[in-house]
Amino acid sequence: MAFRVFRFRRFSSQLLLLLAGLIALVQVAVYLLISRANERNAVEHIDQSLQTGARIFQQNLAERIDYLAGSAKVMSSDYPIRQLMMQDPLDRRTLRSALVTYSERVKAPVITLLSLEGEVIALTDDEMGAENVGPFAYLIRQAIRDDLEQISGYSYLAGRLHVLVVVPLYAPYPNVAAWFGVAYPIDTKFAHAIKNTTRLEVTFTSDDPDEQPPRVLSTTLDGAMAQDLARHVPRAKALPLQSETITLNGEDYVTLFQRLDLLGEAPVRIALQRSLMAELAPARELENVVLLISLAALAAATLAALWIAHGISQPLQQLAAHTQLVATGDYSRRIDLPREDELGQLATAFNHMTAGLAERDRVRDLLGKVVSPEIATQLLHSDLKLGGEEREVTILFCDLRDFTGMSEKMNPTDVLALLNRYLDRMSAIIERHGGVIDKYIGDAIMALWGAPITDPGSAGKAIATAREMAQALQEFNRELAAEGRPALVFGIGINTARVVAGNMGSKTRLNYTVIGDGVNLAARLESLTKDPAYDTPIIISEATLRAIPNPPPARELGEVKVKGKADTVKIYALTAKGESTPPYAV
Amino acid sequence: MKPSPLLALLALLSLTTAAFAGAAELTVTTKGGKGEAVADAVVTLIPLDAPVPPPRPDQRTEIAQENQEYTSYVTIVQAGSTVFFPNKDSVQHHVYSLSKAKKFELPLYNPGQAESFVFDVSGVVTLGCNIHDWMLAYLVVVPTPWFGKTDGLGAAIITAPAGRYRLQLWHPRMTATITEEITLAESPDNRREFTVALKAERRIRRAPAGKTGGYR
Repeated sequence: MAFRVFRFRRFSSQLLLLLAGLIALVQVAVYLLISRANERNAVEHIDQSLQTGARIFQQNLAERIDYLAGSAKVMSSDYPIRQLMMQDPLDRRTLRSALVTYSERVKAPVITLLSLEGEVIALTDDEMGAENVGPFAYLIRQAIRDDLEQISGYSYLAGRLHVLVVVPLYAPYPNVAAWFGVAYPIDTKFAHAIKNTTRLEVTFTSDDPDEQPPRVLSTTLDGAMAQDLARHVPRAKALPLQSETITLNGEDYVTLFQRLDLLGEAPVRIALQRSLMAELAPARELENVVLLISLAALAAATLAALWIAHGISQPLQQLAAHTQLVATGDYSRRIDLPREDELGQLATAFNHMTAGLAERDRVRDLLGKVVSPEIATQLLHSDLKLGGEEREVTILFCDLRDFTGMSEKMNPTDVLALLNRYLDRMSAIIERHGGVIDKYIGDAIMALWGAPITDPGSAGKAIATAREMAQALQEFNRELAAEGRPALVFGIGINTARVVAGNMGSKTRLNYTVIGDGVNLAARLESLTKDPAYDTPIIISEATLRAIPNPPPARELGEVKVKGKADTVKIYALTAKGESTPPYAV
Repeated sequence: MKPSPLLALLALLSLTTAAFAGAAELTVTTKGGKGEAVADAVVTLIPLDAPVPPPRPDQRTEIAQENQEYTSYVTIVQAGSTVFFPNKDSVQHHVYSLSKAKKFELPLYNPGQAESFVFDVSGVVTLGCNIHDWMLAYLVVVPTPWFGKTDGLGAAIITAPAGRYRLQLWHPRMTATITEEITLAESPDNRREFTVALKAERRIRRAPAGKTGGYR
């Protein structure tokens, strides 16, 4: 049932569907392919920029550490620090103010000076408190253990994430007199700084197992999105190396998670992200252009399809209309289709066909006139071949008496006209009674019943025909008398016999006829009517009479010896009105 | 290493002490991890059973600044000694120490001046110069008159009375002081060999003379 929907009565609809459908299919495929390729490309590109961003981020941190370390080194070799450190007891207030000065100089908010044992001597941030600088002492212990000139790490200071750098205060180098600790917060400002260089969204979240979802430490995203992201942060120790796409607030973000190990605490997760939509924006613009082009192409294809369909279906409709005309038998019309293409050829072929059909029709018509319609049909419906078959037929011979003598007194045209009038009437009667006019032999008519179509009632029909012909001749003679012409007299002989019926002649010219003794006998019976002793215009053979289930009254004329035959045949006279004793009507 | 007047004095001191008790001579050899001789290692013998004599007042120890360097990389003095810091250069120096044993400074003093300090507390005093970063010297203040410094062959010879001592071995590049008990017999043939692990040498490269950053 489903494909029924796509059955169209009109060819143009089919073509339209086909062309527009194909174009639409191609366009949709192209659009989808482009769209998919763009998206894949964008994801790949984002992935690359995320990896680059991660490197830039690490580089940025490393540079910041170097900068802080360099600053700390300059501080440590600064004259006033040495002078202040020389005092005993130490003037911690002055030392702190010196550190504040440094803090302003190097833009590091937290600077601390620690003793060799890791105790705070001075700290710029009063609020932070000495108890919060444990990570510095941790770094110092590591630096002493590993004999390092510089050490850095990440840790929370007063609950906020910082990058920490510790360098020794040498007095002189390489003698360590104290330690400088410098810290820089990894806060929203820092995240924005990373975003400025990498164009990536940066979010730091804690990975403390006690905090669920992880706490957002700092981010470039807005609050709600950052919270949403926090829920997506993987807890796995080993982070995936590849980026993944996370939907935040309905927007897709390609995200790469990085890990920042803290000093003695659960690591921090860094999410580097880029919006897929932002990345795809130029591609989407291209897609829109492609979409517009697709639609334009589709419209063009539709128009083209309509035009082509019109160009094809109109002549097809014309052809269909003509075909219907031809089917009803009208061969007179011709298609006018001045085209060079197949349709033009089809129209030409159609015209030729119509002409051929008209020709055939004419031939059939002519055939029907030349031979009887039954024979014509027989000829048309069977292969024309020589040879025949035996069948029982009734043969009627009818000949005008003394017509030759009469015709000598007339001019030939009048003779032919008279003959045609006579034959026309007689033939009509014969045909009306289902008889087949085998041939005209001058003024004589030879007619058949039972061939080519078998007819059990052939003998009866022949006799009825003969009677009507006799009555018709009386009528015709009255007309002739009115015209002042002499009357015509004919004789009819009828015989029923098995004869050979079929096409006879040469391969190129055939006649459908019957031959045999029975035919000759019929001709002989006709000539017997000339004998005044018999006194009858119609003589039939016994065979004919016997072939009729209810034989008509007939006067036996005796036996005649047939020419070339040993035995005799009984013959009977038939009157037009069927009377068996004189006086006969005709 | 050339025998210095200081060593001669020490030898003399040892001989004098030996007059009271039986004199002993200890030869300490220090080697690095690859068997190389370690110079400038400080060997200290702190008597465990006998009292420590006070430093001799007639002793004069000097750490001079010459050619923008300290004349001696490692200097050892008995606690209570006075050390002089003569400036024998043509430029000013600013000698300082931030070490616990002695925090002091000689702020910008001129050539020809020779300030002095008394070092009472035992410990390592690291000397720097606020003007010349590369200038580095160690003054090791020890609580005993019996000490020695290894020479270029890594050997230090100390003459002390026979008896029990706490031997301390220190070097600027050692992470910790080695301490052990040693009993010196009345013999010139007391020997002790140490293999020490040294940190990589860290010295600030001195700025090339006459070149200051490209401006001339």
